[in-house]
Amino acid sequence: MGFIWNELRDAVPLIVHGNPQLWQIIWFTLQVAAIATAAATVLGVPIGLAIGLGRFRGRGVAHALANASLALPPVVVGVFLYILFLPRAPFGSAQLIWSREIVFIAQTILALPFTVALTAAAVQALPPGLLGQARLLGAGRLQVSVLALREARIGVMAGIIAALGTALSEVAAVAILGGNIYGYNQTLASASLYEVNGGHYADALAIAIVLIGLILILMCGLGLLQHQGNGIRMRFRTAT
Amino acid sequence: MGYLWHETRQAFPLIFDGKSGIGGLLWVTVRVAVISTSVALVIGLPLGLALGLGRFRGRRTLQLLANASLALPSVVVGVAVLMLLLPQAQFGSLRWEFTIKGVYVAQTILALPFIVALTAAAIQGLPPGLIGQARALGAGRRQLSALALREAKIGVLAAVIAAFGAAISEVGAVIIVGGNFEGRDQTLGSALLAQFNYYGNVPAMIAIGIVLLAAILVLMGLLTVLQQRGGGIHLRFRTA
Repeated sequence: MGFIWNELRDAVPLIVHGNPQLWQIIWFTLQVAAIATAAATVLGVPIGLAIGLGRFRGRGVAHALANASLALPPVVVGVFLYILFLPRAPFGSAQLIWSREIVFIAQTILALPFTVALTAAAVQALPPGLLGQARLLGAGRLQVSVLALREARIGVMAGIIAALGTALSEVAAVAILGGNIYGYNQTLASASLYEVNGGHYADALAIAIVLIGLILILMCGLGLLQHQGNGIRMRFRTAT
Repeated sequence: MGYLWHETRQAFPLIFDGKSGIGGLLWVTVRVAVISTSVALVIGLPLGLALGLGRFRGRRTLQLLANASLALPSVVVGVAVLMLLLPQAQFGSLRWEFTIKGVYVAQTILALPFIVALTAAAIQGLPPGLIGQARALGAGRRQLSALALREAKIGVLAAVIAAFGAAISEVGAVIIVGGNFEGRDQTLGSALLAQFNYYGNVPAMIAIGIVLLAAILVLMGLLTVLQQRGGGIHLRFRTA
């Protein structure tokens, strides 16, 4: 027990006295999580709706691809984006390597599969009569989408929560593309990796504890919000 | 476009060249993913069932925690597992630090939340009358579990797919616990990172990335087919 205990005891003061660097890292982590989750929601939910509701050819293939992309490895995303943004490569002129913006881009790409695939799954799991009835009654595409979103709210929310979790916790793409630059574009996760690599286990542990705390607060908060949706839903049902 | 095309063309021979070592990496990757997912399934299924079916106090809190743990950062798991496995720590006598056994442990911990949380969610998503009826008819705990598992099979398989995805694509814990030693505990993901950090050979990076993506597509696709065919097996079960 001694070793872990010692490191933990060293870690706690690091959190409590909170150096300015730590606040900067927390702030950047929150920025990344918020931007990536928002972008993934705006881009991904419509795509998920199209896959879940659409009746076009190749829908099954699109769905299978969306599911498979849930396992998109952050390392691959990081390295492939890096190659695309190398000076000689197609996006090289943007000069985004080792910037903050490219960290946002990478985490959005990693979060996107969750909003797409889980929205599609949630919409498909709706009682089959519901959407068919709405279509028969003459609902347009937009109305059917709104109805599906409202009814599949819990599942869609699960997708957004999963996207947030990825944006908060994934590290490989952040480290590769951002260069893990101390005090500039480090997230809590990549800062922890940085400290492990330097052999500073107490610092790594301190940052990890802060990260876990942040994840618990945000994920539980969204989880509660998700279940409140349930209450609204029931009220809605009894009203009609 | 010329640059990318040039590098990609050089990548393909590497994939099929036995000397590039990609085959060995693929084997380690698949082994890690299969073993971690299996162990996580054995541990996580009973937990998910208890969480989904149980009627004890604090069940909702536990479920919120299980959902939050879906965002468990691989770096944090890596740091925690390594610190428990270091020679001076509790499990140091196992000598599992910087070995593939340590990697199995870390990836199992990463896969576990998916099995627990998604199994619980799938069971809770069953029609509310079903389990209640079985209870009223006097089904024991074992019978209830079997019923719930059979009915929620698609959701449980989705949990397995998600767990497998995490086990095959996460790299943060693999490099920390395994130490990223070539030929011993390097997976495709961690080899890609090593290639990026130390060698910077673009065709080799593209080759490893392509093989990893292809492996994920094939394996996840197989699991998805299994999941969708579950419907057929289900029916036969019932008529028998």
